[in-house]
Amino acid sequence: MNIVVLVKQVPDTWSERKLSDADHTLDRASADAVLDEINERAVEEALLAKEAQGGEVTVVCMGPERANEAIRKALSMGADSAVHVSDEALHGSDAVQTARTLAAAIGTLESVDLVIAGNESTDGRAGAVPAMVAELLGWPQLTYARKLDTDGQSVSIERESDAGVATVEANLPALVSVTEKINEPRYPSFKGIMAAKKKPVSTLSVADVGLSADEVGLGSAPTQVVSSAPAPPKEAGVKVTDEGEGGVQIVEFLSGQKLV
Amino acid sequence: MVDFSLSDTERDIRDWVRNFVQRELMPLEPEVLRRERAGERGLSKDELAELRDKARQAGFWGVQTPEEYGGMDLSAVLTALIEVELGRTFVPFSFGGYADNILYYANEEQKQRYLIPTIEGQRKSCFAITEPGAGSDAKNIRTTARKEGSEWVIDGEKTFITGGIDADFAMVFAVTDKDKGADGGVTCFLADRDMGWKSEPIDIMGEWDRMPASLVFDGVRVPEENVLGEVGQGFALAMQWIGRGRYLLPARALGGCERLLDMAVQYSKGRETFGEPIADRQAIQWMIADSAVEIEALRWLVLQAAWQVDSGMDSRHAQSMAKLHGGVRANEIVDRVMQIHGGMGYTRELPVERWYRDLRLLRIFEGTDEIQRRTIARNLIKGHASIGGVLG
Repeated sequence: MNIVVLVKQVPDTWSERKLSDADHTLDRASADAVLDEINERAVEEALLAKEAQGGEVTVVCMGPERANEAIRKALSMGADSAVHVSDEALHGSDAVQTARTLAAAIGTLESVDLVIAGNESTDGRAGAVPAMVAELLGWPQLTYARKLDTDGQSVSIERESDAGVATVEANLPALVSVTEKINEPRYPSFKGIMAAKKKPVSTLSVADVGLSADEVGLGSAPTQVVSSAPAPPKEAGVKVTDEGEGGVQIVEFLSGQKLV
Repeated sequence: MVDFSLSDTERDIRDWVRNFVQRELMPLEPEVLRRERAGERGLSKDELAELRDKARQAGFWGVQTPEEYGGMDLSAVLTALIEVELGRTFVPFSFGGYADNILYYANEEQKQRYLIPTIEGQRKSCFAITEPGAGSDAKNIRTTARKEGSEWVIDGEKTFITGGIDADFAMVFAVTDKDKGADGGVTCFLADRDMGWKSEPIDIMGEWDRMPASLVFDGVRVPEENVLGEVGQGFALAMQWIGRGRYLLPARALGGCERLLDMAVQYSKGRETFGEPIADRQAIQWMIADSAVEIEALRWLVLQAAWQVDSGMDSRHAQSMAKLHGGVRANEIVDRVMQIHGGMGYTRELPVERWYRDLRLLRIFEGTDEIQRRTIARNLIKGHASIGGVLG
């Protein structure tokens, strides 16, 4: 079975992240960029499915040239090939345009059975792209998966939400988005790193996936970020010294905040 | 003319180690500090073995070990880059799959008993040449080995032997021909602990991972098949062991310095005096700037020495420079970082003082500052090296 994994390069959560002052888009130069951790889990799940069912894993990524580092990481984990949609026209694209671009890129591939994505990126955190991609492809969407099983014909997940856990099934082709509970991603192996450079990566422009430049990017984005401000610094917490009443004080604090 | 960039593969390998350090080692830091404060090992032997196994599953094992023994056989430059990453934490970790370079001179039978089990982590070696009266002047060793039938009988005392506490065999150097001395009269023996030598830990300024031992050989009988290399040719082996990778010591210190300076920058932005962050004070900025320049210089001294190793050049001069600069500068940097942290830097709440104690060793072991300076000066005076470096 052929599996596509959607991956994104994001600023390392270990480094300071900020938005550019000019257009409120991500300041990519300000932080180290890495393959998003949730995507590592998506790649891992794809590799597990491939190991069980056979087939190929293709990584699809939209991002600037530098995103090839994130692609290489996915390849060194064991993915077989990659499609990199890279075009200056994409700068500032919102979730809808991103989903259109990714769906179009998936459309350039032959016989895709399953798309796996992270449920939301650690930078944008819209959490909307996987569902939009499924909608554009006309495929069932199985989101927020904490467990995934597939026999090559259908896919079944445990979908976790605030309300509880539901088991959801669909026939392939389908799209699944995974949460951080899905697995512990493997480290890329040394051999995988050495092999990654030799794996095929096709770099496509917006035109190559069948879109025009004025359909994507900041200028035509259906949603706009009109202002941004850094999060206020954390204020010092309240220290509760337990002198027999510690538990009561904590409950009073939490109920005061309407948390319990 | 000169390309200082890394290839994609080099970067990926470096980043893999960076990621491993962030995910697996740094989270252990508070516990490692707590244990060390309590006089215990920062990492238990089992924990170290577990971490090494995890890395090995991904093929990160035997960084410089030849491929025929299952290692990665990486270049000196990549090995240095890996050391820098490992140096960014004080959690005492190194990848498994390592054996001392001189064990590769073992004959086939010795390789099965010593080299391969050491690579596999089943046996632990220690290199025993230093004596109470012979350190930098290693030619002065007094430990003797005399032949009795098919055995050698070793008598003497070794000191400051790294790994001597845990080793189950020693590569011990002893005088076998007093008249010839270092020039044909010193032999290296593979001496198992159960042949009768004893070790005693030496309490030190640093932590467990640095703790050396004194070794006592009191009539220890070693079978003649346990001579490593040739009888009388031990001193050449010793020199090879000592020169095996001097550039890697300042590489690890470089990682520590990067982390320390990063801590100092962060602290200076958050700590306010008289209504302003101390980062705005020139006195602090100069310390940050000087440290950054020295770190940058150290990076390229280390990598250039490693590049010389990879290029098959005689890298001893460059390695001495990297070691000297690393030792001196790392100690200045950690001192400044402590100063920037003020009273907090001196506490045991933070790891700065741990690094302060640890880095001091770099100026002493594996060739003191003074020995490095002697090497560098002599090379220039005798014309073995150029003041213009590799560019002539």
